[in-house]
Amino acid sequence: MSWRRQLSKLRQLFNRQTPADLNEEMRSHLEMEEDENRDAGMSPEEAHYAALRRFGNVTLAAEKSRDMWRWHSIETLLQDIRYGLRQIWRSPGFAISAVLTLMLGIGANTAIFSVVNAVVLRPLPYPEPDKIVAAYLVNPRDPAFRSSHGFEDFKAARDRQKSFSSFAAVEQGRPSFTWTGGKEPVQVPGTAVTAEFFSVLGVSPALGRSFAAGEDVPGREHEVVLSHAFWQQHFGSDPLVVGRSITLDGASHIIVGVMPAGFHFGVRDNDDLWPLMQLPTLNRRPPYFIQPFGRLKPGVSEAQAEADLSNIAADVQRQFPNSEYSEARIDPLKNMIVGEARMPLLVLLGAVVLVLLIATVNVANLEIAQASARDREMAIRAALGAGRGRIARLVLTESILLAALGGVLGLLLAYGGVTALRALAPGGLPRLKEITVDGQVLAFTAAVSLVSGVLFGLAPLTRGFGSWLNGAEALRGGTQNLSEQRERRGLRNALIILEVSLSLVLLIGAGLLLRSFERLTNTSPGFNSQSLVSGRVSVPKTRYPKEEHIVAFYDQLLERIQHLPNVTAAGLTLSLPPNLLNLTNPFWVPGQPTSEGMNLPLAVETSVSLDYFRTLGIPLLRGRLFTDADRGRSDGILVINNTIAQRYFPNQDPVGQRIKTGGASADNPWETIIGVVGDVKYTGLDSAPDPTLYVPYFAGGWTSFSRKMFLVVRTSGDPKNLVSALRTAVQELDSDMPLANIHTMDELLSNSVAQPRFRMLLIAIFASMALLLATVGIFGVMAYVVSRRTREIGVRMALGASRGSVMGMVLGEGLRIVLIGVAIGLVEALALSRLIKSWLFNVQPLDPVTFLGVSLMVIIVAAWACYVPARRATKVDPIVTLRYE
Amino acid sequence: MVDNLLETMTPRKQTEQRIELVYGTLDMLILRTLRWGPTHGHGIAKAIERMSDENLKVEHGSLYPALQRLQQEGWIAAEWGVSKTNRRARYYRLTAAGRRQLISETSRWERFVRAIAGVLGGARSEEAK
Repeated sequence: MSWRRQLSKLRQLFNRQTPADLNEEMRSHLEMEEDENRDAGMSPEEAHYAALRRFGNVTLAAEKSRDMWRWHSIETLLQDIRYGLRQIWRSPGFAISAVLTLMLGIGANTAIFSVVNAVVLRPLPYPEPDKIVAAYLVNPRDPAFRSSHGFEDFKAARDRQKSFSSFAAVEQGRPSFTWTGGKEPVQVPGTAVTAEFFSVLGVSPALGRSFAAGEDVPGREHEVVLSHAFWQQHFGSDPLVVGRSITLDGASHIIVGVMPAGFHFGVRDNDDLWPLMQLPTLNRRPPYFIQPFGRLKPGVSEAQAEADLSNIAADVQRQFPNSEYSEARIDPLKNMIVGEARMPLLVLLGAVVLVLLIATVNVANLEIAQASARDREMAIRAALGAGRGRIARLVLTESILLAALGGVLGLLLAYGGVTALRALAPGGLPRLKEITVDGQVLAFTAAVSLVSGVLFGLAPLTRGFGSWLNGAEALRGGTQNLSEQRERRGLRNALIILEVSLSLVLLIGAGLLLRSFERLTNTSPGFNSQSLVSGRVSVPKTRYPKEEHIVAFYDQLLERIQHLPNVTAAGLTLSLPPNLLNLTNPFWVPGQPTSEGMNLPLAVETSVSLDYFRTLGIPLLRGRLFTDADRGRSDGILVINNTIAQRYFPNQDPVGQRIKTGGASADNPWETIIGVVGDVKYTGLDSAPDPTLYVPYFAGGWTSFSRKMFLVVRTSGDPKNLVSALRTAVQELDSDMPLANIHTMDELLSNSVAQPRFRMLLIAIFASMALLLATVGIFGVMAYVVSRRTREIGVRMALGASRGSVMGMVLGEGLRIVLIGVAIGLVEALALSRLIKSWLFNVQPLDPVTFLGVSLMVIIVAAWACYVPARRATKVDPIVTLRYE
Repeated sequence: MVDNLLETMTPRKQTEQRIELVYGTLDMLILRTLRWGPTHGHGIAKAIERMSDENLKVEHGSLYPALQRLQQEGWIAAEWGVSKTNRRARYYRLTAAGRRQLISETSRWERFVRAIAGVLGGARSEEAK
């Protein structure tokens, strides 16, 4: 149909010849003919009938004329739907298996798409989100590494930039604040922000005000903005809360505003508090731990903004010549927030799409089997004049109905799935709160259902079903001819091959992740994790302003805890294995290159108490540990880990050697190595041990970092029983000090692998679904093939074929297809397994054990699915089947 | 309606000798007829019969779907008018696009006829040998 005709139809929809018009036109035609006939001498009656004869079927002509103006004949569609429903009702077994299969496929897709949509696709929930960009510092010699900003960097950028309408920063690495003043001190998640934080995001408080530009300077009263949830829960939605004070980390903060419900900031979407930072003036560039971002002015491009900030970074670098970063980069805020979550989610989406493909293939195979039983019906329809299009529409209506049912059930499944995903998702998945089944997701589900419905509905319309479309030919005998039989078998086999190969891909993915996870959980964290409990203490500046106060508090705390019953050792540390790293520091070993502007290697540097090593069971390899005798020493002493010893002191004893931390410059004091201990992992079980430096917690200069430390306690009893005793010990010393984040070390180890476990779990679920569907598919097709060949098998057996040979024939045919599928699947897996390379720990993407093992498993399962119908074939009684002839 | 149906199912003895229309040629004949000026459905039917010396079998009813199709293509346009015999009738006229379509259809048809005639003519002369 040409576009012109479509257009004209559209126009005529509103202005078309009405049926009454058409009837009048035809009546006038007949009357003219009658007139002529009468003029030619016929009687009026004769003239009337002759005119009608000449005209042909009036109703048909009228109907056809009207059809010309119709896009879809609604009546025909309704008729097809009614017919489809009746057809579904008539073969409930087929319909149920098809709908359930589709439900699994569509449900899994909808659930995962909801997550992808919320996390990756949807714009951030702020006005004009594309305008918000994050800024980073880079060293042109190592541009891949993007650093956060130091205070001086941020202040320079904020004051001198010309590209942003507002510019703000958040403090990194501080997850929570201690709120005192309630029944007992609690840790509340929150992020310290600079003054223009809310203006950059473009969200105003629901109550009170947000911070005003320029308020983020020392010496003012502390201010805080609350989340809606926190305000509801702890202040009973009191509208007069603005202006009241709360104590956070020991300092009084004035509540200036309450954000609207649902407001959250990216990765930290559980935050309840946004205290205002007070930017200090430091005479150095590091530490780099605030992350700036800004809202671009209208008309300013990202490149212009980057050049603007790079100029400022270069200025700051000239101000501090020993520092490295002289350029800036900017990147949409969404990338910072979504970041590393994107790729895993897309891979998961890919996995569920494979599952849906397998489901669709399965239903297509069911359709083919079902359709073969309907050859006669279709032949009759074709013989009675149903055109190709009409039959295709009938079949497609039916299959889309099935898919729609599957889609509706799948949607229900997805609702449950999304709830489960939200509950199970490991921490660190950004925008978790935004995950919902919304209009976009519904549209996705509808589209997916429609596409799969059309895909499997097309199966009976392929060449193997030529007789359906070509009319009377197939009426003879009502069965398809040989070439059709062959083509149908070819199609079925191709579908099985596809199914087997796709499930093999998913299973190999799951197998790789499983092996990787097993290796991950079996790696040693570097210490004995049993019977250990840890918790976090934070010593507020208000009541413990000086270094000696902090040290005294920690000394008393350890003293008390060591004397609790069942406690065998207790220690303190700034960073806690396996992955709670708090601080890294550059270090320099004499003899290593130090040219200006080069990045020095980074080490985990952590302050620890004397008994820390004994508490965790970290072995001393050389030299000695810290003792009470080291208190009050003016020179720096260090314990290093084995990685540093091996890498930087390969052929010498590191004990007694001196190194520098924080930088290589001459005015930086030397620190002496007194001992070497075993490697411990601080950046996750999956990473290699980092170079690690230990300093005693009483060492000078460590005060500001040591305000928040992890307490670790080893017990001879059940670690769980120790929790309340520990809490009491802390409270007895200082009733306003909470012991937060209490966990056993085994829990921490388990939490640290939550993400790989989650990924493995999801992929394993999808792979199992795939295997299940593929098995059902193979089983169904083999059973169908055997039932179609009953007569042939009967003849063979009557002619003397043994049960064994019949079994071998059926089994052999099935296995041949399965093996082809496995071979193709292996090739696909070879190509695809590198997608998950970054998730694998100590396992190669082409791990031969996984590839072989999974292939073997698929073959065994598929062989079983072939064996059951094959055995039925051997039970065929030749006499009975021949009698049917 | 039932008697209508019976009527059309009766054998059409008098038209048995007529030639069945080749698919798609009806459109061309309608366009051709309208070259002489606007006329109504009945007029078109009569004109086709006259032009072909009553050799072509055209059920008048089958004109109407074709007329609708041609209107959609924009090749003809229609409006109500009054016939010579004072009956209200829908008059069809050729549009510019329809005129172009007629020219191209006609030349294609002539090529087709020449080709078939060539094949058949060859066959006849071979037989004659």
